Amino acid sequence: MSSPFFQPVDKVPLPPPDAEVFTTACDYCIVACGYKVYRWPANGRNGGSRARENAFGVDFPQGPLGRWISPNQFNQVRANGRLYNIVIVPDHESKVVNVGGDHSIRGGAIAQKVYNPQKPTSDRLKHPMVRVYDVLIPVSWDFALDIFAELSKYVIDNYGESAWALKYYSYQFFENTYALTKLAFRNIGTPAVAQHDHPSIVNSVPGWVDIGYDIFSASYEDFAIADCIYISGTDPYETKTVVWNEWILKGINQNGTKVIMALPRRTQGVAYAEKHGGLWLDVNPGSDTMIHMAIARVILEKGWEDKEFIKEWTNNKWETDSGFGQGTRNTPWQWRTTWGKLETKGFEDWKRWLFSQKESEPGYAAKVAGIDVQKIYRAAEMMAKPLPGGKRPKTSIAIEKGNYWSNNYLNTASIGNLAVIVGAGGRPGRVVTRLGGHQRGGRSGGRYPMLKSPYKFPGRRRHRMDLDRWLEAGHLRFAYVVGATWIQSMCGSAALEDAFRRQTVLNPHRVRTLDKKGIVETLKKRVDTGGMVVVNQDIYLRDPIGSQYADIVLPAATWGEDNFTRCNGERRIRLYQKFYDPPGEAKPDWWIVAQIAKRMGFDGYDWKDSNDVFEESARFSRGSRTDYYELKVLARKKGMKAHDLLKTYGTRGLQCPLLLFDDKLVETKRLHDFNRKFPETGPPGSSIVNKALTSFKTQTGKLNLMKTPWKIWADFYEFMKPRDGEFWVANGRINEIWQSGFDDVDKGRRPYIYQRWPANFLEIHPDDARMLGIESGDLVSVESRRVPVQKDFNLGVKPDDMWFSGLMKRGHIRLASGQFTAVAIVTPAVKRGVVFTNFLFMNQPFNSIAPRVPDPMTMNYRYKIAVGRVRKIGESPYKKDFSQMSFRRRDIA
Amino acid sequence: METKGKLDPCITRRAFLLGSGAAVASTIFLTSIPGFKGEAIAARVRRYPRKKIGRLSRLKVDEPVLFRYPDNGTGTESILVKLGVPAGGGIGPDGDVVAFNTLCPHMGGPLSAVYKREEKALGPCPFHQSLFDLTRHGMVISGHATESLPQVLLELDGDNIYAVGMIGLIYGRFDNLTRR
Repeated sequence: MSSPFFQPVDKVPLPPPDAEVFTTACDYCIVACGYKVYRWPANGRNGGSRARENAFGVDFPQGPLGRWISPNQFNQVRANGRLYNIVIVPDHESKVVNVGGDHSIRGGAIAQKVYNPQKPTSDRLKHPMVRVYDVLIPVSWDFALDIFAELSKYVIDNYGESAWALKYYSYQFFENTYALTKLAFRNIGTPAVAQHDHPSIVNSVPGWVDIGYDIFSASYEDFAIADCIYISGTDPYETKTVVWNEWILKGINQNGTKVIMALPRRTQGVAYAEKHGGLWLDVNPGSDTMIHMAIARVILEKGWEDKEFIKEWTNNKWETDSGFGQGTRNTPWQWRTTWGKLETKGFEDWKRWLFSQKESEPGYAAKVAGIDVQKIYRAAEMMAKPLPGGKRPKTSIAIEKGNYWSNNYLNTASIGNLAVIVGAGGRPGRVVTRLGGHQRGGRSGGRYPMLKSPYKFPGRRRHRMDLDRWLEAGHLRFAYVVGATWIQSMCGSAALEDAFRRQTVLNPHRVRTLDKKGIVETLKKRVDTGGMVVVNQDIYLRDPIGSQYADIVLPAATWGEDNFTRCNGERRIRLYQKFYDPPGEAKPDWWIVAQIAKRMGFDGYDWKDSNDVFEESARFSRGSRTDYYELKVLARKKGMKAHDLLKTYGTRGLQCPLLLFDDKLVETKRLHDFNRKFPETGPPGSSIVNKALTSFKTQTGKLNLMKTPWKIWADFYEFMKPRDGEFWVANGRINEIWQSGFDDVDKGRRPYIYQRWPANFLEIHPDDARMLGIESGDLVSVESRRVPVQKDFNLGVKPDDMWFSGLMKRGHIRLASGQFTAVAIVTPAVKRGVVFTNFLFMNQPFNSIAPRVPDPMTMNYRYKIAVGRVRKIGESPYKKDFSQMSFRRRDIA
Repeated sequence: METKGKLDPCITRRAFLLGSGAAVASTIFLTSIPGFKGEAIAARVRRYPRKKIGRLSRLKVDEPVLFRYPDNGTGTESILVKLGVPAGGGIGPDGDVVAFNTLCPHMGGPLSAVYKREEKALGPCPFHQSLFDLTRHGMVISGHATESLPQVLLELDGDNIYAVGMIGLIYGRFDNLTRR
């Protein structure tokens, strides 16, 4: 296959037997498959086809499941001043995660990620830059950092730390997130901090927080031994590829696992599940809670609930009250129970409540969700009906963004309740987990200064700051943006960009000199006149935050360019080894933070390498689900660096939390493992046995059942429902560009992927398409003129003030407009009345029509609830092009 | 859809003998392979044997025929198929006759028996469900392969169809033309 941008090759060099080998894991999705990098001098000899002539030690050609190098797995890099050939291949010896060298289309082509000036990665940022006359001019590190530090001090001294913001990725390695949060929280103490995908720092699955489930308690092998898996709001085939390929598929084919998938779009995974005894719950966006309630009701009516588990592991009235409602009121539970709407007195009380709700009636729920009511009964059977022989099916529950980014609190609480009654959590094949998005590389170097957040709810409850609204209200003076898109990735992105523009380029004080003092003076004037200074630190020049609004751009080093560590979705930590030099003067984020901190006068940043940061961060991991403290303890005993000790575990790594018994690291397969036995005295020495290891995350270690009253979502949902010819506009990730968009389709950096997806797409049902005169390949526009944006900070006093209707009534919502274009794909894979598009195509994001009104109880954005009108505006060039884009069905089993 | 034919080494050898290595660039449907300049194709094709793989008049729409190319070794299982709709790299009066290697470029799964008539697609792969669009040079519709399905370049001489080259690397090989 070829395209105007891509000519595939028909041979690839083999690494010679003496090639150097580095272990790493994929940089993209949460699964983090193990990879090996083979490196040899570009002017050296390549390997040959006989086993003794190549680094793999096998004869070529290879047969199926063999050791092959795809052309996209080859590249050239510079290291130690020399040019090297590299191949980056999934680890064929892997026994965990990507068993036998499985890979996704994204990780499989990760060799194309590395900087190569001959390839489309040539636009990596190489030098610090300062904007003068709207041109980004390369300067030295000292020059850029001096300005950064001086402006930061000025803003903090004159406007307070809340005017200094950090917007950063939550995931890009423990070393970097630790350094960034150490600066922001421990040293500066600002509440104006948010991560890449939320307006504030949030719990993404708050229902489980209240119930007592951890969000990453499972091991991937649980998916291969479950009898039934209810997967909500995602298809892991598309977005957790190797968890599907190596674990869920293994369960379906070897164990007869029945997979239930709840999402409005039929995908390849859904098709496969249906063909193998599974079930597709084709729910309308935002209706999941009713389906969860109805399934739970059917299970209870049939008496299929896990009575023993419920008796043993749920709180009764006294236990529920014993930790809550007393002492400090400053807990999430307290905020959420302000209205007295959610707490129950235990299982029987919850059951009575459930049966009294019309939303739990299967007929009613099915009607609202737009599904066949029989599917509710069928799902209940698959999840809980005793198997022939009387044993309970082992049922697991796995969720992702379609679930918790639509009706955040109620969806997560109601599916958590369902998990409780089927006895899920803590046992092999019976787990409750998020499937995950990004990898888990967050480590906090300080505490969030909650008391400084201005955002208050009725009853003195405080939320973390909503940074978007803080910015929109004009309170920010300095924004440090690290590895985050910010504008396009937030809801109501078009309206947010207006705010950015107002406070940067529309401010009259713009830099017109390269004199350092002059620059600082100008930017101080900007700050003093209500404007804002923006610093963008990234690997590419982001558009528009870097290219249009940043005053300073700092080049970051990334994956493969320094030694880093991170965990995957089963809490497995690996060392991501450095195997080549970063481009130009690019530096790892922890290094940049250290230079800034020292210039601002803070101590504790004398790190010599990333291992120093890792070892310092280890203490802050204690007791967390990614606790790697004992790795450092053992390394010290052995006289090694912690990074070097982790390196000896290769692509296998170690499953956290880690404990240390007699100088042996002990891993944790799954959390809430109540059958796991520790010595009565606990592990010796410095290991912490977190309660979540052997029970659930509540005060008693038992689970709570929560009320999930539809009423607290109804006003927003009613407003958002399609009207007057609008469609539900669902959005999500697709296999080919999931978590790798910045490396492949953005700017066409990975030609092989870019030819597949050169433009945004919109899937639409044939009946809807016919009505609008739309064919596959047509260019369509999607527009909404009623995108609700919560525009300012406001204090809630009366109980209903912060609900959508209350905000609307009090004038805190304005209606913005948003729009994008896409290439139509007509397919019966989406429901009638629903269209589906990519969640984030950078140059014209879906998020422009996503409502910027976070869940008032949890501050999560509701990205998946959007509506818009669809219109044909012409034909796309791809309609009749044989080399770019495909309009074929993806859901064929 | 069942795929017709078997991999007959006799036909292969005879076809191989017919191959002359003559200049063939002018007879390939270059217009449907954008980005490939004539010289690039010619250079590519010069490396490859010219091998007769079938006759246009014998092909029926949606009934793939098996052959091996560029040799008889591991991984050369290929199909020749008349799609009934125009396709990238297609030959014949309707531009709808194409040929592809049938090893999934993800992990080598066999695709020769999983032709999908409605979608003009090959797949889903029995290993991990990758799916390829035969009208668009074997592009991944959905799945995990890090390259498109390798396409066999075709040439039509009267009624005879010749394989003359390949775009893309065959799974399991490091060079399409190195058997060992």
